[in-house]
Amino acid sequence: MAGSALRRLMAEYKQLTLNPPEGIIAGPINEENFFEWEALITGPEGTCFEGGVFPAKLIFPCDYPLSPPKMQFTCEMFHPNIYSDGRVCISILHAPGDDPMGYESSAERWSPVQSVEKILLSVVSMLAEPNDESGANVDAAKMWRENREEFNKIADRIVRKTLGIYIRE
Amino acid sequence: MPIIVLERLPLPNLKTYTGASVLALSACIYYATHIVKDPDWNKPKSDLDVSPSNNEDFINNNTNHSSPDDRTFSQFTGDTFSVMTKEPICVWIMINMAYCWLILIGRCVQKFVFGQLRVSEQQHLEEKFWNFVFYKFIFVFGVINVQYLEEVLLWCSWFSLLGFLHLLSQLGKDRFEYLSFSPTTPAWSHVKLLGLLGCIFVFSLFMFLISIFVGFFQGLNTFAFMSAEVILLGIRTLHVIVRYALHLYDICRDTNGSLSRDTATALEKRGPVIYYIELGFELNALIIDFVHHMHMLLWSNIFLSMASLVICMQLRYLFHEMQRRWKKHRNYLWVLNHMEQNYPMASAEEIAANSDNCAICWEKMETARKLPCSHLFHTMCLQSWLEQDKSCPTCRLALNIESPSDNRPESPEIQHNAPQPARRPLNHFFHFDGSRYVSWLPSFSVEVSQLPRLSRAPNSQLDAMARQVQQLFPHYLLPTIIEDLRVTRSVELTIENILDGRLNSQTLRESETISTTSSNVPLSILQSNVEQPDTSSSQNWDDINEENVENEDGIAVGSRFSKSPSEREQILHKRKEKLIQTARKRYVDKQRTPIST
Repeated sequence: MAGSALRRLMAEYKQLTLNPPEGIIAGPINEENFFEWEALITGPEGTCFEGGVFPAKLIFPCDYPLSPPKMQFTCEMFHPNIYSDGRVCISILHAPGDDPMGYESSAERWSPVQSVEKILLSVVSMLAEPNDESGANVDAAKMWRENREEFNKIADRIVRKTLGIYIRE
Repeated sequence: MPIIVLERLPLPNLKTYTGASVLALSACIYYATHIVKDPDWNKPKSDLDVSPSNNEDFINNNTNHSSPDDRTFSQFTGDTFSVMTKEPICVWIMINMAYCWLILIGRCVQKFVFGQLRVSEQQHLEEKFWNFVFYKFIFVFGVINVQYLEEVLLWCSWFSLLGFLHLLSQLGKDRFEYLSFSPTTPAWSHVKLLGLLGCIFVFSLFMFLISIFVGFFQGLNTFAFMSAEVILLGIRTLHVIVRYALHLYDICRDTNGSLSRDTATALEKRGPVIYYIELGFELNALIIDFVHHMHMLLWSNIFLSMASLVICMQLRYLFHEMQRRWKKHRNYLWVLNHMEQNYPMASAEEIAANSDNCAICWEKMETARKLPCSHLFHTMCLQSWLEQDKSCPTCRLALNIESPSDNRPESPEIQHNAPQPARRPLNHFFHFDGSRYVSWLPSFSVEVSQLPRLSRAPNSQLDAMARQVQQLFPHYLLPTIIEDLRVTRSVELTIENILDGRLNSQTLRESETISTTSSNVPLSILQSNVEQPDTSSSQNWDDINEENVENEDGIAVGSRFSKSPSEREQILHKRKEKLIQTARKRYVDKQRTPIST
């Protein structure tokens, strides 16, 4: 089982290396374990996360691609769809069987046709357009709705933190 | 290995422990020789049973011990040993030494084969160790209820050895699974691990022979008790070895590269064989474990004790495992059958026309099956996907599968078709969710409904409820609503979900033209509100996709996929650094521009 998963991950890694989407880099943290990847995601332009480079960890199950990987940001994040421990809550990462929130149609959930690239792209679009209805982080969702300015400030602080820039002008 | 546990407890480390054990043993030997040297010492030959592992120490002790000879050397050591076996303290010290040896051997094996253990492996070991100790304690003192110290010692030494092998086998399995995560493992580590597993297997065969031998004298029950664990050990180890061999075979095939058509079809055929091997191993292990526990429960007349409770719990767990495995197997067979009947093998032209790889494994298709939506997949890939979901992976077309596991009993249906005078849109609806109060209470719903019979008669409560919801929200698909209803089990909650936009709205399919004329639409504003976020987000998604396609060429220059793992790692690292640096630069530049202007 792990054999086919390994081959597929290798193929995806190759594809992501040869044709990387802009601002996205992903690959195994360590060649010894192909089932744990690190991804760097650049915050989409024109949004409050613009310019930041957010590291995230992807952990693949051994029956990948039948089951989705788990994704967790390893930097501090403040976003309606990201739990405070960094776990990402988007429908593409949910297996068709389980439905933690209880309201997603299976059409937008995981299928083996999806790939790391597609996951990362939808995370980018999630960063750009939070879905404040699935409240993985209720505080963030509330602030996003009610106090956008404050939200942007926090986002900017996080962006600077990921870049290692701490100067306040 | 017990070492890990020892490290956790406030116990001395291995060196001190070994030192102390050796010291105690030498003191003990000194004492014994002292006695033996005494001319008054007489030797009544009594056959005290000592755990077999003591022999090991004995041999060892000979080497570092020399004595002034009155008798021959072997006589003298024989005397010393018999003195030691009669002195309780000496016996305990020898047992301790035996364990010390076991631990040391374990350490050596770990150093040689595994190197540094990973955290998860350590946790597994610890868990397995305590589990084993717990169950064997129950077994020795609760089930067979040994009376004599010698017997206890015999059983303990047997189980110590067995547990030791069990732990090694578990460690081997964990390590194999870890190694199979990597495409590049040095052959040497494969050889070491396989060697260890082979040794464990041979040992288990050897122990099986011992149990036959003992059983020959002690009766069938003892044999059954002794052999069950040994057989389990053997099966588990063999299972890992077989999986390992298959994995290695796979890797070799990969490195050989190109697949001819013959090997591809051979692979397709190999799938079921592997599946049945796995099934055989798993079921066998479960059944033997189950029978073993059953035997314990029935044999020992311990129906009213803590031990029986523990065994019953274990039995229950094993039973559930077997049931689960069996259900999975039935599902497998069913899917296989369904595929054979409904999805034909694609013709060579179709495969040729479809230039894509299999969307599931991303590999080239030599043979493929065709779904009704004319998407092609490998048979094995499709099989394993259909086992868990009944839709086309590519287009999400719901396949008309009603697997045996699917018709799980819905909440018990009680339908009164009480005649009602007028057509009322609202039904009396009562829902009781027992599991909210006590876990074993059933949940059921009662509805007094008077629904217009539609073209397809709604055969279940859910269907009826779904149609009710759909009357209010005609633009939602029936399956979507049913899915939500399955979770909420109430019309009101589903409507709330829809109003809150938690349900994905989709346009009605042509096949589902259900009398929507009667539905009054005062909610149109809400609906448009609901739809908006969805469409906008999907549009955005497309935008990003397109953007990336445009930009791909620019980035692709210079990046390449190396064959050597270390080089790949380096390239990835460099790319990451570069990305962060450019992002940083861009950010700083952007901050500067508004200040300078």
